Amino acid sequence: MRITILNGDPQADSAFCGYADGLTKRLASLGHTVEEIDLRNLDLKGCSGCFGCWVKTPGECVKRDDSARICRSAINSDLWVLASPITMGFTTALLKRAADQAIPLLHPYFVMDGGELHHRPRYARYPAIALLLGAGADADNEDIEITTEIWTSFARDFKSRLVCAAVAGRPIEEVADEFIACA
Amino acid sequence: MSSLLVLNGSPRGSHSNSMCMMSPVIEGWKSSGAPEPEVLHLAQRGEFERAIEHFPAADTVLLGMPLYTDAMPALVKLYIEALAPYVESASQRDQKPTLGFLVQSGFEEALHSRPLEHYFEKLARRLGSPYAGTIVRGSGWSLPLMPENENRALVTHLRALGNQLARNRRFSEAELRVVAGTERFSPTAAAWLSLAFSSPAAIPNSHWDRALEKNNVWDRRYAAPYADALPT
Repeated sequence: MRITILNGDPQADSAFCGYADGLTKRLASLGHTVEEIDLRNLDLKGCSGCFGCWVKTPGECVKRDDSARICRSAINSDLWVLASPITMGFTTALLKRAADQAIPLLHPYFVMDGGELHHRPRYARYPAIALLLGAGADADNEDIEITTEIWTSFARDFKSRLVCAAVAGRPIEEVADEFIACA
Repeated sequence: MSSLLVLNGSPRGSHSNSMCMMSPVIEGWKSSGAPEPEVLHLAQRGEFERAIEHFPAADTVLLGMPLYTDAMPALVKLYIEALAPYVESASQRDQKPTLGFLVQSGFEEALHSRPLEHYFEKLARRLGSPYAGTIVRGSGWSLPLMPENENRALVTHLRALGNQLARNRRFSEAELRVVAGTERFSPTAAAWLSLAFSSPAAIPNSHWDRALEKNNVWDRRYAAPYADALPT
């Protein structure tokens, strides 16, 4: 299975990054092809809502930055893991920056899907989505629930399903198995 | 008289659908006799920093934004992260700004913005702030495009919400429901729309077609540039 992990922790050497690295290694040791992308090291200019990726260069951001790498890696994977510590009750601005710049993966046309308006898919298949959250002292269960609710909605928009939401700290082997089982 | 700090969280800055929608709310605020609010665009360098500085002293803060991939734009989350010191100092401050929010999305139904609304309700509690409510409105792109008379009802209700914010420091549930419009399509409406959107002449989609044609890329509209490595 191909797995892309977007790590949205702005700090290197954090306990969360240690955990995410451990998970990457564990998944690789199980025979999967894993790419962990540390977003803090990328040049991401952020989405400015110009719609260029929909009407000027269809499917590609008009900004020449590293967002293309994120889109390419995510769309070609079977499991797309969004990893981030919870800060102020939600995943980091850094992870959101990457998610905002994933919009070229969708098509501008509206379609009806399950009785709701959504965007038309641009690709034939989309990866299953999983969340890996870091919950420090300032994150409670309600924050985890709200964060999960928002990313569930994101997954639906990205023609997918949030198949798993795990909080870092549990045994890595157990979380790795869970990710593989639900993807 | 109490002060209002208006924060525009649109990455497009002052020329944004979010600002279009907040303008009537600001007018409504002023119609109560309350003073002119300070308006800051988070996308503007310098204003982002001022928005952090001015936050604790404001009586009321209205933070508006477009829905980006089912949540706040990264810019808004970055701003919220910069408010972290105010969580720690909340217990020592007598003054805690009342927080109101506005979320406008491209989709017509309000349901897409509800998870983010839950987040904002919690954010107000985290900051020890009274929560005025979240204005949710779909089809945000249509406000600047529609003729004035078609927007009149919406503008009137947005003004009423601004007036309520000044007088009661709280949006009324009834007014919020009116502005939200369609929460979810009825099964009949959904079936009809499924048909309508499967036609190439679907109105919102023809808007995209015109933009694609103008840029001479209509024939490339289904481009899937990253799919070459997809397994067969």
